Amino acid sequence: MTRRKLLNLSSMMLGRAAFDGLGAAPIDGLPHFKPKAKRVIYLFQHGGPSQLDLFDYKPQLAKRRGEDLPESIRMGQRLTGMTAFQAKFPTAPTIFPFAQHGKSGQWMSDLIPHQAKIADDIAIIKSLHTEAINHDPAVTFFQTGFQLAGRPSIGSWLSYGLGSENKDLPAFVVMVSQGIGNTQALADRMWGSGFLPTSHAGVKFRSGADPVLYLSNPAGYDPSARRRFLDDLGKLNQIESREYQDPEIETRIAQYEMAYRMQSSVPELTDLSTEPDSTFDLYGPDSRKPGTFAANCILARRLAERGVRFIQLFHRGWDAHSTLPQQIRGQCGQTDQASAALVQDLKQRGMLDDTLVVWGGEFGRTVYSQGTLTETDYGRDHHPRCFSVWLAGGGIKPGQTYGETDDFSYNITENPMDVHDLHATILNLLGIDHLKLTHKFQGRHYRLTDVHGHVVRPLLA
Amino acid sequence: MSKSRWTNFHGAAGMMLATAAACAQPVEFNRDIRPILSDKCFQCHGPDAKTKNIPLRLDVEAEAKAKAIVPGQPDRSELIRRITSDSKAKRMPPVYTGHSVSATEVATLRRWIAEGAAWQAHWSFIPPRKAAVPTGVDPIDHFIRERLSKQNLKPAPEASRETLLRRLTLDLTGLPPAPAELTAFLKNTSPKAYEKAVDRLLSSPRYGERMAARWLDAARYADSNGYQYDGERSMWRWRDYVIESFNRNKPFDQFTVEQVAGDLLPNATREQILATGFNRNHRINTEDGIIPEEYAVEYVVDRVETTSTVFLGLTLGCARCHNHKYDPLSQQDFYRFYAFFNNVPEIGRGIKYGNSHPYIPAPTAAQEKQLAALNAQMAQLEKELAKHRAQPVAAANYRPSVALDYEQQFPAKEPRVAGMAGQWDIDDRFTLSAKVHSESVPDGPILTRMVDSPKGKGYGLHADHGKVHVHLTSVYADDATRVETEPVLKAGAWQTVTVTYDGSKMASGIHIYVDGVTVKHKTLNETLYRPFTNAHAVFPQPLRIGMGWGKERRFNGEIDQARAWARILTVPQIEGVAGVGDTARIARWSYFENAAPLPVREMWLALGKLEWQREKLESSFPTVMVMAERPQRRDTFLLIRGAYDKPGEKVEPGVPSALPPLPAGETNNRLGLARWMTSRSNPLLARVTVNRFWQMYFGTGLVKTTEDFGQQGEWPSHPELLDWLALEFMDSGWDVKALQKRIVMSATYRQASQATPELTQLDPENRLLARGPRVRLPAEMIRDQALAAASLLVDKTGGPSVKPYQPAGLWKEITMQDGDYEPGSGEDLYRRSLYTFWRRTVAPPMMLNFDSAMRESCTVRENKTNTPLQALNLMNDVTFLEAARNLGALMLKEGLNEGFRRILSRAPRPAEVEILKSSLAYHRDYFSDAAKAAEYVKQGAAPVDAKVNPRELAAHMAVASLLLNLDEAVTKN
Repeated sequence: MTRRKLLNLSSMMLGRAAFDGLGAAPIDGLPHFKPKAKRVIYLFQHGGPSQLDLFDYKPQLAKRRGEDLPESIRMGQRLTGMTAFQAKFPTAPTIFPFAQHGKSGQWMSDLIPHQAKIADDIAIIKSLHTEAINHDPAVTFFQTGFQLAGRPSIGSWLSYGLGSENKDLPAFVVMVSQGIGNTQALADRMWGSGFLPTSHAGVKFRSGADPVLYLSNPAGYDPSARRRFLDDLGKLNQIESREYQDPEIETRIAQYEMAYRMQSSVPELTDLSTEPDSTFDLYGPDSRKPGTFAANCILARRLAERGVRFIQLFHRGWDAHSTLPQQIRGQCGQTDQASAALVQDLKQRGMLDDTLVVWGGEFGRTVYSQGTLTETDYGRDHHPRCFSVWLAGGGIKPGQTYGETDDFSYNITENPMDVHDLHATILNLLGIDHLKLTHKFQGRHYRLTDVHGHVVRPLLA
Repeated sequence: MSKSRWTNFHGAAGMMLATAAACAQPVEFNRDIRPILSDKCFQCHGPDAKTKNIPLRLDVEAEAKAKAIVPGQPDRSELIRRITSDSKAKRMPPVYTGHSVSATEVATLRRWIAEGAAWQAHWSFIPPRKAAVPTGVDPIDHFIRERLSKQNLKPAPEASRETLLRRLTLDLTGLPPAPAELTAFLKNTSPKAYEKAVDRLLSSPRYGERMAARWLDAARYADSNGYQYDGERSMWRWRDYVIESFNRNKPFDQFTVEQVAGDLLPNATREQILATGFNRNHRINTEDGIIPEEYAVEYVVDRVETTSTVFLGLTLGCARCHNHKYDPLSQQDFYRFYAFFNNVPEIGRGIKYGNSHPYIPAPTAAQEKQLAALNAQMAQLEKELAKHRAQPVAAANYRPSVALDYEQQFPAKEPRVAGMAGQWDIDDRFTLSAKVHSESVPDGPILTRMVDSPKGKGYGLHADHGKVHVHLTSVYADDATRVETEPVLKAGAWQTVTVTYDGSKMASGIHIYVDGVTVKHKTLNETLYRPFTNAHAVFPQPLRIGMGWGKERRFNGEIDQARAWARILTVPQIEGVAGVGDTARIARWSYFENAAPLPVREMWLALGKLEWQREKLESSFPTVMVMAERPQRRDTFLLIRGAYDKPGEKVEPGVPSALPPLPAGETNNRLGLARWMTSRSNPLLARVTVNRFWQMYFGTGLVKTTEDFGQQGEWPSHPELLDWLALEFMDSGWDVKALQKRIVMSATYRQASQATPELTQLDPENRLLARGPRVRLPAEMIRDQALAAASLLVDKTGGPSVKPYQPAGLWKEITMQDGDYEPGSGEDLYRRSLYTFWRRTVAPPMMLNFDSAMRESCTVRENKTNTPLQALNLMNDVTFLEAARNLGALMLKEGLNEGFRRILSRAPRPAEVEILKSSLAYHRDYFSDAAKAAEYVKQGAAPVDAKVNPRELAAHMAVASLLLNLDEAVTKN
């Protein structure tokens, strides 16, 4: 009998679903090799930030303002239903000045002065591309490796594979904040567990009285009463357990105890009043307002400190089909300082080395203007063929730009990297061989990277 | 801490159930060998080997034996050599696949070859065989016990009567037994008492709801479209069809045929057409920027995957991009099956809020009755009116007064704003009419209600250089339906232009008449899907005459008798308005309308009122999306790598080639397919169906992989029992209730579910059934039970979905700008969970916490986890607190024991009574703080009896909450 089977048999006594998701141990054989990162903070910029106005500097475009996008660049490639019928595709250079930053000389626009300060800490990928051109499938693809709903999200794969390092908190936490730009829909399934047990689904932390759904005791019912309640419940369940000898009952008792611990650990975690002023100074004024991206960034750091495996923030509002300059100013105002602060904060606490930070959206935006192009205004449609994302910490070689695009930021000219490659690389940093983390469902051994994916070695330290 | 996850139990249970080595019985190919070959080898050496140019197939007996297996001689078999090779280069499976063959598996393969390497066709593809059952023994018990005795196990004794009735009532109705039912059952000592209870529960209307719950998961039923906007849709009439079908015990073959192809049955009834909603329950994408063709393909793929999973237990979807890696299903098979479902007159981008085409009005039984009554009353009045002869009156002044929303009688040369009439949106039914006259060819706006600018939002009737042009616009290019006629309006003549619109958003829903004669139109655009009042915004545009396309555009002549009705006029009425057609009839109507004696005029007006009522009634009918066939079959092409824009060879509809063919003479369409699926020659439908029902009772199917009966699926724990039940099911005429009865009558089902550590270790998943089922209740049952125990549950079958409590903000946080979830009130808060509004992207959180299917796609396997989020949910969700309060109030009157019985259907043991009493005492003390008690009992919308002492109520409520949180409460023992 193998060790694995022995383990299975002994653990059977603890119940079929013992410690599912919360406080679970890694599955056998994981990690496959020594991880460089222990956890991930993924700052998802939802809606598709414009690479042309943030990271992908195209000085040559200035003189082509208003010119129709050359067919040699577009090559008849498919467009969304929103601009496919547009008669002209006027080239819209960014109106925001770019400059080089840090020793590494990474190019960034003046929309993101704070991220400019961490230029040497991040690796900017300019050559990411995706298959999807609409929000729902594109986000689903980023989250699950497949455009249609039904597969486990990346966080739930990690919860399933690596388990949790904290027995009082979920392994996968999600937080959503609202942008000021054009907003698109999210869906619970984007952090769902697909065909993995639902206990691996992301747990959404919300601002307000109940950071986790149903966390708070009803009004008038104190923790002391709850303690007594659980003691009585435990006794009654023990009677049941002696009668039925079903390990599942012991598990339920343990889960109620964990729920009780969460009732104190989660409010303690989300209570930012213990943070010194210097924290709020670092993350910016927004960070004092619960529910903002900046406040969520502080929470992300606190979750990371407590060993939560996968922390994912969604900031909505990047979908600027029109009035892009105005919208992106607002979006950057909400996210720039806190994004940079998070990296700096992790660094000063010595946590950046084993925390991977990912910043990016589900696709980029077109070089041509959607709608009318004026001196100060333009819109941009979805662009899946190239866009920019940055990575920091946890085994990433910082201060580099990876991949290159053509003069229009339309096609990739060097080192294309697809979403599966990004997934494979993230898993690799966590010590996981993306070919080997599988789950059998409907007769097939599924993996996050489907049948694709390569680890992008040049990104690794 | 050692870990434990159910996912690892495949290994443990599989080992116990499947290894021949452990049981010293001969190796059997289907049970022992095929799973190894399939999982470890077929990915390359299987049905898709050819595509990869791999010269060996191990799924084909002849080829395997010619190249890799020498029967009787394992050491001379290349298969054994390669899987045991020390050479990394030679060893199979290759390292990069991530697979390896274990030592036990090698031993099993060796033994099998040594024993002669007997081959078998895949078990589920060959017809079921009926094994003999000794007389006088329940067949289920016979097969279960046969297996038990092989493992030297004995069945458990029967469960206590209390446990049994709770188990049975939950299983057959999804609710706990009512206290009176329990009392009656315990009193009835007749040997027939149990069977009587079974019959009673099977005939309860709650039975259909219980059965429907799992069917809705399989059919991915929801009340929203999914994807980005996830707007509301209306499919609840289909949901009610399912409930009614189970309650009426519709034979399962008929149930199947109706849902797959009810629309194609000869003289299909409304119910049969409505049944095909099954294959329109899939998600529909309404996002602005999508490429419709791409999603049109996804809808068909979803139908193929759902239909093949639910009725055939096949993972046909795996053959979308390439030949199936494990099962004999080619990519051609996939697209041939796909062709059956690829002929729906649909557009890839759906309607944002509401049902997408095709759909039908689906009045409820009550509405049908109302309609018949109205028709009868109208017929009666018409008969009465027919007795009165019309007197001549001035003709041409007839106008239907019913639902006339606006009228302007005098010729107007100047355009004018006509006020806030005609406030209709894209799903309303209305009629516009006006007489127009111009010295030149008529041109310009006639009647509009739109933003006053070119391409503005709203609706409009225009003349465009003599053409009649009608538009309904939300966004001019993307989101609008526009039609126009040939030039039919002449210079220098008065002509009456009438337009009717039926609220369908389609060009076919617009009819244009000039001088009462219908005029053909052509479609300029047909992509309308968002209302003018897009979600919650208002659309405060007035009706305008002769204007409404921006300041520059004006009608170039005169307009008279501009009218707008909030209904569709009949053709004779339209003729009447134009003063053409049957002049005698118009004269007659005008007489009744204007000149007849008062009693006759009153009758005429009454008729009009009824007509209006009928209009209102008809437009209130719920609709349901259904399957339909295009008149000209759409060609189907194999899609290369499954991509919508990479068509390959053309294919014809057909059933998978590894299964028996369609019988000669059978029509090669969906109806033929449905009949083929339900024919006895199909080895799968009965097995797959029986297995799913079995899963409902025992937590796990006889085939654990309920969704996969292919080679990668699990070998049945009791193959002979599965076959026996499948054949019996067919022989009974697919009698669903009889099957349920057979299962719950068996001693196997009635066993006590107590385990021992030894038994748990030997059979952790209870596959051998040496004890009764013990499984956590499904999500909907947990909530329904709490409502029932607290006497809050509203026993009402069917109807539109309802919105019970849900924490505020969940919709707003992540969906588009649609506003938040608004909980209902009154009865809506206490309906069974099956009626809870299911929004796909933000499903009801309590349901998700308890492992409900997501309803995004077909789900047939039940999944149970045990998490702290469930604990928080049961302790702190207002649903369970309100139920606890009401249950507490009942306990105050009836005593603790009665409350206990309401949930657990048994009396508490003395030790339990002690704990409950002590808890009550603690809480009495705790709630001596009146403020705390007052706050605590304030839960939900149900009224609190002001006469009850709040401290007592709070203390009892806390104890009731304790009961609702018990493991036993959420478990079927």
